[in-house]
Amino acid sequence: MAARRNNPSGIVPTIQNIVSTVDLDCVLDLNHIAQHSRNSEYFPKRFSAVIMRIKDPKTTALIFASGKMVCTGAKTEAQSKLAARKFERIIQKLGFPAKFRDFRIQNIVASCDVQFTIRLEKFACTSHGAFSTYEPELFPGLIYRMKQPKLVLLIFVSGNVVIAGAKKRDDFYTAFDNIYPVLAEFKK
Amino acid sequence: MADTYCPDCKRPTEVVFDHSAGDTVCSECGLVLEAHSIDETSEWRTFANESTDNDPVRVGGPSNPLLADGGLSTVISKPTGASGDFLTTSLGRWQNRGSNPDRSLIQAFKTIATMSDRLGLVATIKDRANEIYKKVEDQKPLRGRNQDAILAACLYIACRQEDKPRTVKEICSVANGATKKEIGRAKEYIVKQLEVELGQSMEMGTIHAGDFLRRFCSHLGMNNQAVKAAQEAVQKSEELDIRRSPISIAAAIIYIITQLSEDKKLLKDISLSTGVAEGTIRNSYKDLYPYAARIIPSWYAKEDDLKNLCSP
Repeated sequence: MAARRNNPSGIVPTIQNIVSTVDLDCVLDLNHIAQHSRNSEYFPKRFSAVIMRIKDPKTTALIFASGKMVCTGAKTEAQSKLAARKFERIIQKLGFPAKFRDFRIQNIVASCDVQFTIRLEKFACTSHGAFSTYEPELFPGLIYRMKQPKLVLLIFVSGNVVIAGAKKRDDFYTAFDNIYPVLAEFKK
Repeated sequence: MADTYCPDCKRPTEVVFDHSAGDTVCSECGLVLEAHSIDETSEWRTFANESTDNDPVRVGGPSNPLLADGGLSTVISKPTGASGDFLTTSLGRWQNRGSNPDRSLIQAFKTIATMSDRLGLVATIKDRANEIYKKVEDQKPLRGRNQDAILAACLYIACRQEDKPRTVKEICSVANGATKKEIGRAKEYIVKQLEVELGQSMEMGTIHAGDFLRRFCSHLGMNNQAVKAAQEAVQKSEELDIRRSPISIAAAIIYIITQLSEDKKLLKDISLSTGVAEGTIRNSYKDLYPYAARIIPSWYAKEDDLKNLCSP
């Protein structure tokens, strides 16, 4: 793995959640899966997928009848891939010819704390106002939609920042590097 | 009776105005100075309890540039007296059945007008809301949403653009059935649409507690001193690090100010007029209490009064 680029503040965002998808490439019988596995739930009236959970890594998968699967809850990319493979193994053991095609990480959510309070109203009024949405009545955090890389940051008065929408780890490192000096300007 | 120059008498003389013939007559020589003068007083008077059958109005409403044809509205009316032949009675019905390109627009404008009436908003805000609605109307993603929420969001944006913001809860109270969440989502959507169309000219500033203070105070009937003190307090509180919604801060400051004066308002009354829950006002009061000495102006309350302030 390449060395992590740290900005001068030394703060690195930590990943909280990774959502990935994989194609098992075979039609699945959801009823069969739900009946023959212990850790799954399937209520077709509520949602047309089996919700299966494994303990290690602690993740949840939504398995659809078309063979597509969504895996959520992992804390690193490697864990997400491992979890997806474990789910695929379970489906294989249940008797379906599952393959592991097109594993893609769709979304990474990370958070960090810049350690100082931020003046959000001032932030929204400046040139960054074009990208920000700050409605204290509706949501206490400022929603910053960064264009490059394309992701969303939730910035709170306490200094906590949540970065969502990244597809790669580098994306949110870049985003945080971009936003940190701007936030420092609006320190309270 | 007026003094005007009479050409026959060659000097200013008393002049009489005869209303029945519209003549201006010199009282000394009888020369008619002006005839057929146009009477500009009102032609008729309208009373509320009179029947609307005999309405002498010859003009329609003001022309509305937002509507397709400027709001021209001529309809074929039913002939009075005996409903004679088939044609005259049906013509009216057929005209109304024909497609009106603006029907939904007119309906929406009417709803916006009702809502803004209930809130007591000026015509400027109402017209702006109409404009905003016209810009976003009839787009595919809009269809799924609650129509009331869209109209309420248009009104909310119009108020913000005119620098007279109304809280979402206030708009909620006049929008039938739309929830705060729906209005919030609709508002985000409309703002995005407007930015796409106008290209980044949508600048709505963030709301501040001071914007709402005047209105909340007058709802509660606070006296001028108290209102001024509250406004100063809100100004000072902006520098403090209080992590609450501006509305809650305004409500808490009103609570403090009224507790300091003789006219103590109940938490319930403040909660009703500001829309902030009682629990939230109490919590905001807890946050503000340590800074009370800093934000309350000294001309309004002395140190001892502040000590009497009940500790949360």
